[in-house]
Amino acid sequence: MAADKAFDDIADSTDWLTTPLPGLAAVEAALRCQICKDFYNTPMLTSCNHTFCSMCIRRALAADAKCSLCRSVQEVSKLRSNWAMEEAVLAFVKTRADLLDLARKPPTVLTVEVPVAATSSSPAKRLRSSARKSKTRGAELTSEMARQEASFPVPSHHSVPAPDQTYNDGLVACPICLERMKEVQVDRHIDSSCPGAPRELPTQPPKQKFTSNTSNQRNGFQVLSTSAPAPPKPERLPTLSYSMLKDAALRKKLADLGIPANGTRQILEKRHQEWITIWNANCDSLHPKRKSELLQELEVWEKTLGARAPTSSRSIHLGEQIKDKGFDHAAWSAKHDSSFQDLVASARKTRAQALQKANQNQPTTETPSPPHSTGASTTTPAAAAPSSASPSRMDVDQQAPLSMVQPPTNPGSAAAPSYEYTTPCMPDRSYAMSELPHPPPLEAAAALDRSRNGASEPS
Amino acid sequence: MSLGTKRLGKELTKIQKTLPPGITLVKADDLQEWLLDIQVLDQNPIYAGETYRLKFRFGKQYPIEPPEVVFTKQENRPIPMHPHIYSNGIICLDLLGSSGWSPVQNVESVCMSIQSMLTGNTKNHRPEGDADFVSTNKARPKDIEFYYHDNEV
Repeated sequence: MAADKAFDDIADSTDWLTTPLPGLAAVEAALRCQICKDFYNTPMLTSCNHTFCSMCIRRALAADAKCSLCRSVQEVSKLRSNWAMEEAVLAFVKTRADLLDLARKPPTVLTVEVPVAATSSSPAKRLRSSARKSKTRGAELTSEMARQEASFPVPSHHSVPAPDQTYNDGLVACPICLERMKEVQVDRHIDSSCPGAPRELPTQPPKQKFTSNTSNQRNGFQVLSTSAPAPPKPERLPTLSYSMLKDAALRKKLADLGIPANGTRQILEKRHQEWITIWNANCDSLHPKRKSELLQELEVWEKTLGARAPTSSRSIHLGEQIKDKGFDHAAWSAKHDSSFQDLVASARKTRAQALQKANQNQPTTETPSPPHSTGASTTTPAAAAPSSASPSRMDVDQQAPLSMVQPPTNPGSAAAPSYEYTTPCMPDRSYAMSELPHPPPLEAAAALDRSRNGASEPS
Repeated sequence: MSLGTKRLGKELTKIQKTLPPGITLVKADDLQEWLLDIQVLDQNPIYAGETYRLKFRFGKQYPIEPPEVVFTKQENRPIPMHPHIYSNGIICLDLLGSSGWSPVQNVESVCMSIQSMLTGNTKNHRPEGDADFVSTNKARPKDIEFYYHDNEV
C-alpha cells in the first residue's frame, strides 16, 4: 500500500501497546485532541468541560455550534484556555521520543541485576524474568525522570520581580495594564477588571526577564509579561453576519484585514471564516505567531480547501444561488434533467401558441412589418423567440411567467425531487450516538463485548 | 497538509495496527476512499457467516463533515438485510448525516456502530419503498434527507 509508507512516521498512542509500558497509550491518548487526533495545540476548554485544540473546536463550532463530544450548545466566545493541559502536552512531547526508545530497547543493560540468565530456555522463566526486568526498568525510568526533573531549571516565578529592585514588594505587574498586584490575582484581574491598556507608565519599564530558559516558564502571566512591552497582544476578530453585508462591503472587510479579497461571494465568506479561525486560534496561543505566518496558513487553506483547491470545487462555486457548501451539481442536473426539459418544452409551446394567437388576432395590422410576420410564422420556437421580441413584448411578459409557474405536467417525469423522498427510517436509539456524553463507540463496544461473551460461552 | 489529510493519516496508521474483532481493513491506497470488511460476530441468523464490504469516501472537510459510507456489492460480499439498509448499499443512519455526525467519530467508530446496528437487528427485510428508492435515487447519500419515522427498529 502506498499510503502506509507515507505515514510510517506518524506518532500515535498505539505505539506504546507493543512496549512493556502499554499503559502509556492511555496517557498519550488523553493528551490528544479528539478532532485532529494530534497532541493538543493550544487546548481550549468548552463550557461543558471538554478540551480540544483551539483551531479544531473553532472550525467545528463554525460548522455546527455544538460540542463535538457531548453535543451541548457552545459558543466560541465561551472557550477558555487550558494551560495546564498545554503544559502537560509540551512536557510529554518533549520526552516522548526518549521514553519510547527506552521502552523499546531490549533490556540488555539490566541483565546484571537479574540473576537468572536472560537466555534461559524455559518460556515461563523468560516471562518471569522479563516481567521483573520491566519492573526494574520502570523503576529506572522513574528515577531517570526524577533526575531529569531535578536538573530542570526551577521555573520560579518568585524570581520574576527580583531583578527589578524598584518593585521588591512581592507583587507582580499585570502584563497588560501594568498595575501591581499579588500573583494569584493576576488571572482574575485580566479576565475582569483589567482596563486593557497601561493605566500609567511605571517609573521604570519592565525589564526583559527571559533568556534561554523561557520554555520552562509556563505560567501564563509570566509569558505574557514578556510580550507586553513588545508587540501588543492581537485582538480577537468578531464574527460577521455575512447576510447583512453586500459584496463590496465584504471585500473591503477582507482588504482591511490584509487578506486576499478576490473570488466569488462564497469564497469570500469561507476565506473570512477561515481567517477568523486562524487568527483567533492564534490569539489563544501562548506564543502567538506573526501575521505573515498566519497568512501562510491561509495560503495553505486556499490551496487545499479554498479558491485554488483542486478538483471540481470550481463548478460548485459557479452555482452560487445554491448556497449549500457541498452541493452536488451533477446529481442535481441529472435528477432534474427531465423537469428542465419539460419546462423548456412547455415554455416553447406556450410561446408558439401566443405567437399564433397574436398573428390570428391582428393579421391585418401586422402585415406592414414583414420581418416579424415571417419570424413569427416559423414553426421552430427557438427561432421564434428572438424575432418576436419587438412586436409582441406584452405577450412575452405575460406568457413567460405563466409557463414558469406551471409545474411540469408530464405525469411520467421524475419531477418529484427525491430529497423529499421519505424513507422509512428512524435513528435507532441503541446506536444513535447523539445523546451519549462520551465517545459512544466505547460503550457500544462494551455492549458488544458483553453480548459476544454471552454468545460465545456455549461453544 | 490539511487537517483532513493529517487526521486520516493518523487513523490509517492506527487501524493498520489494531482493529476491533470482525472489522478488517481491505484497501486504503489513498486518503479518498477506503474499503473495510465487517462481520457480525454473534449468532444472529440473518448475518451468520457473511462478510460485508463497506466503502468510505472522505470529503475535503473531513472530519468536520461526515464521510460517505455505503455497503458495496461484490462476489461473496452481499448487501446485508436490514430495515435501514437499501439494496443499493445506502445506509440510513443518523450518525452518517450532518445532523448526527460529530468530528470525534472516526472510521473505526463508524464501523462499530454499523456492526452493532446489524447485531441488534431481528428484521430480515429491506426498508419500505426500497425498490422505488433504489431505482429513482441519483443523489449522493449525504444529500438524501432521510425521514426518520419508525421508532421500533
